[in-house]
Amino acid sequence: MNTSIRLKAALLSCVMLLVLLMVWQAATRPGQQAAGAVDDEYALLMGQAAGGASETVNGMPTPTQFATLAWRQISDPFYDNGPNDKGIGIQLAHSLARVGLGYLIAALVAIPLGFVIGMSPLLYKAFDPFIQLLKPISPLAWMPIALYTIKDSTTSAIFVIFICSVWPMLINTAFGVAGVRRDWLNVARTLEVGPLRKAFRVILPAAAPTIITGMRISMGIAWLVIVAAEMLIGGTGIGYFVWNEWNNLSLGNVIFAVLMIGVIGMLLDLLFAALQRKVTYVE
Amino acid sequence: MTDKNFYRPYSANSSLAGCSCGAHASQREHDKRAEQARLARGRDSETLSQDFVEAAAVRALFPHDATRRRFLQAVGMGTAMAAIASVLPLQSLQAMAEERGPLEKKNLKIGFIPINCATPLIMADPMGFYREQGLAVSLQKTAGWALVRDQMLNKELDASHFLAPMPLAISMGLGSSAQPMRVATIQNINGQAITLALKHKDNRDPRNWKGFKFAIPFEYSMHNFLLRYYLAEHGLDPDRDVQLRVTPPAEMIANLRAGNIDGFFGPEPFNQRAVYDGIAFLHVLSKDLWNGHPCCSFGASQAFIEENPNTFAALYRAVLNAAVAAGDPQNLPEISKAISTPNYLNQPEIVVRQALTGRYADGLGGVQNVPDRSGFDPMPWYSMATWMLTQMKRWGYVKGEVDFNGLAEQVFLMTDARRHMAELGLAEAGAEPTSGYKAFSVMGRPFDPGQPQAYLDGFAIKRV
Amino acid sequence: MSNETHPQAVPFIKVEGLGKRYRDDQPPVFENINFSIQQGEFICVIGHSGCGKSTILNVLAGLEEATSGGVVMAGKEIAGPSLDRGVVFQSHALLPWLTVEQNIAFAVRSRHPRWSRRQIAEHGARFLEMVGLAAAARKKPSELSGGMKQRVGIARAFAVEPKMLLMDEPFGALDALTRGVIQSELLKICEATRQTVFMITHDVDEAILLADKIMLMSNGPQARVAEIVINTLPRTRTRETMHHDPQFYRIRNHLVDFLVHRSKVIQQSGPAASGGEPLVVRPGLEDDGPPPGPDQPQSSRMRVVA
Repeated sequence: MNTSIRLKAALLSCVMLLVLLMVWQAATRPGQQAAGAVDDEYALLMGQAAGGASETVNGMPTPTQFATLAWRQISDPFYDNGPNDKGIGIQLAHSLARVGLGYLIAALVAIPLGFVIGMSPLLYKAFDPFIQLLKPISPLAWMPIALYTIKDSTTSAIFVIFICSVWPMLINTAFGVAGVRRDWLNVARTLEVGPLRKAFRVILPAAAPTIITGMRISMGIAWLVIVAAEMLIGGTGIGYFVWNEWNNLSLGNVIFAVLMIGVIGMLLDLLFAALQRKVTYVE
Repeated sequence: MTDKNFYRPYSANSSLAGCSCGAHASQREHDKRAEQARLARGRDSETLSQDFVEAAAVRALFPHDATRRRFLQAVGMGTAMAAIASVLPLQSLQAMAEERGPLEKKNLKIGFIPINCATPLIMADPMGFYREQGLAVSLQKTAGWALVRDQMLNKELDASHFLAPMPLAISMGLGSSAQPMRVATIQNINGQAITLALKHKDNRDPRNWKGFKFAIPFEYSMHNFLLRYYLAEHGLDPDRDVQLRVTPPAEMIANLRAGNIDGFFGPEPFNQRAVYDGIAFLHVLSKDLWNGHPCCSFGASQAFIEENPNTFAALYRAVLNAAVAAGDPQNLPEISKAISTPNYLNQPEIVVRQALTGRYADGLGGVQNVPDRSGFDPMPWYSMATWMLTQMKRWGYVKGEVDFNGLAEQVFLMTDARRHMAELGLAEAGAEPTSGYKAFSVMGRPFDPGQPQAYLDGFAIKRV
Repeated sequence: MSNETHPQAVPFIKVEGLGKRYRDDQPPVFENINFSIQQGEFICVIGHSGCGKSTILNVLAGLEEATSGGVVMAGKEIAGPSLDRGVVFQSHALLPWLTVEQNIAFAVRSRHPRWSRRQIAEHGARFLEMVGLAAAARKKPSELSGGMKQRVGIARAFAVEPKMLLMDEPFGALDALTRGVIQSELLKICEATRQTVFMITHDVDEAILLADKIMLMSNGPQARVAEIVINTLPRTRTRETMHHDPQFYRIRNHLVDFLVHRSKVIQQSGPAASGGEPLVVRPGLEDDGPPPGPDQPQSSRMRVVA
């Protein structure tokens, strides 16, 4: 029963993909160019085979063209032809490094701070207005402020990652820690468990599912934001790659990059989902 | 005293019998050692530069090489060196040439926007002009003009490609905090165009363009000033009768395709790219508005120049050399190939080439041949800056009194440009007028750089 | 018998003048609570909800502070929780991310931080066996039934070998069958270990089965320990046989009577006098008539209601 549903679902997914590809193919089928008045040199300068059809419609590649292009990118992901032309693998690595660093700093700040806030109702209330005010600010709105004050675009991008990933982690940590069941804390108290042991052996595992949820949300946001941030600051990274290919009006590469962003985002999410499963407990 | 000098100004003859110093078994061995030492000396740029000065001085003293050799044979090298040193201030000559001396900074980050305007700056990299000056330059493709400005203000970039009016604007603190920026050279002249959507191919009279939406790359750009000028000359008020939107070039094309704009005044290769993509035609080349107009510039902050005079000088030479190379039409196909790669412009080479060589498809079915569609005259004429300032004032970007020529001379380093050109032996070094206030006319209206205010007053449509 | 026949030695636990008030504008939940517990005694507390039994237990555990009065244990005032007073929580309070043996090991490690992993495991296993759960050692609490969880809770409390065990309605959430089984187990263990226990319950039969003394609390607010019922049933009692003993019904009736009528009347009769010890009664004995003697401070009021 279970397997048959899974099989059917997989089959349905394949059908949907196929339909999508067919629609794509149909929509991008090279149209017949009005041949006639144009001479050969003009056609050549317009990038057309003399008198023939143009390669694409509206710059949108056909599925086959896209597959070739994607294969070319994937088969050599780490080439490096100077500062402005690097393989997709290098670009993704740059983005991941930025996200990783900004995210790590955010975690290092948010989780201990969230712990402290969660433990103290006084601090919880005192921090609340700040968190409520700062949380809804679009991360990219920080960009100009960061660029102006930090005066370094890479650091600014990392800062933006930091600022966008800090809130969900902070809020969830504080919420998770504040919500640790009284009974468990009482168990720790009656067992005269020291503060450090209590933090790591009772509160942390108790709040872990909530904390990991916050981290998962943060990572999702950070990965979304890095693309936009890199489009703004340029240099390296998958966002820059998108911008650079967009600048070249190479939609195929842009679509490829978007796909890669999706894949990496999904993998990151899966990673956190696995982590979440690991720390989740049933009461 | 031995003749260590790389250029061997004191060497009368090297083919004497036997080893001349007695330290070597044969003259051949001696020569080999001496040659090795000489070459080693030649590899050191500092001594090389000193040697160059010395050699040049000696050559100046003896214009005919035969005379020099005879003199040396007559008195001997040691005597000759002492004698020449007594009449020529060699030490101070060498000291004067010290600006060719040690580079303060060898690894440079230079920003550029991926457009044809940056050709000299870009091609200097693959063609080795930076390397030739001992510089290791990393060209940073930058995502927009505002970012170029910010990264220059933040000192993330050492020098950059600018839109020619930007250093003026930054120095005045328009749209950013004020920081003295300097224009070392003009990057390119001409090479822009007004591109219109194909649907307007029968609507070529600007008088009918009321309500049009145009894209421009940046506010402080020649594109903006020339488009405004063009529209105003045809009786349209650019602030009231049309909409001007600051848009990155790639989005100009996307917006044109989507019908959000009617046309744009853009940099190459994007005008040609719109034609290539079959969505637009070239309405008019910028060269037909003002032949020889500047577009982009190359510059650095005053602070960078003061801190790194030798590096800046080396950079200056590299870019000037590149501009000269770009000015030779024969080089253009090769340059097109070198700069269209993903690392630089990331555009189809054929598009870049059409814009550079001036043999291009106009989008209306014709092939045009306009060799001066793009040019690379690097001279930063003061009068160009003056004109830009008049337009900034005209459209209200600057308020109040403007010391047009004072500012022009402060920001545009024409004297330095001439000096470096002379050093490189370029004929343009002495281009007239020496005052730097070259007169020109824009769309038939003459501009007298001596009378900027009067010029400004002569416009019917303006904001002041 | 001990209370009267042997003049008081220093009691193991002495509760003096305990009172708790949550809000200043409201009467205290309880006040003037006085009682003492001897080593090895099993005390059950019965009272209606809201009389503050759990609060008293928490004060004994050190988890809560009283508004007035104090508790002295073995000559030392209680301030804060201690390993010497183990607690079995009503909700079992097992850490759900740990397995059964890890839960117990967590407690044992708290008591013996220097022990090796093996020592801790062995020690824990012994107590797990005691509650008959050796087979479930590797399971997570969520995989256990309610009764099993509570047994783990009990094993955990016993594993730290506290001087005193505090149990807050440990079987309240269990079905009758399970409850009976665990009660028997607990009885056996306490019999073997002579553990001092202070337990809250709602179940009169449970109290009679387990307790040496049953403390009856009047209703809150201003609740107090109204009576201490000495369980005169022989210690060898079991669930199966105790209801054959005529004492059982006498005690049971006394307790039910208290819960149904007197607990409320006592509350209405006003606050307790300070320093008063509760009345000690032995309803199980035939000759134990109505509480005698003017020497008993509360006797007059008791008579009114009897």
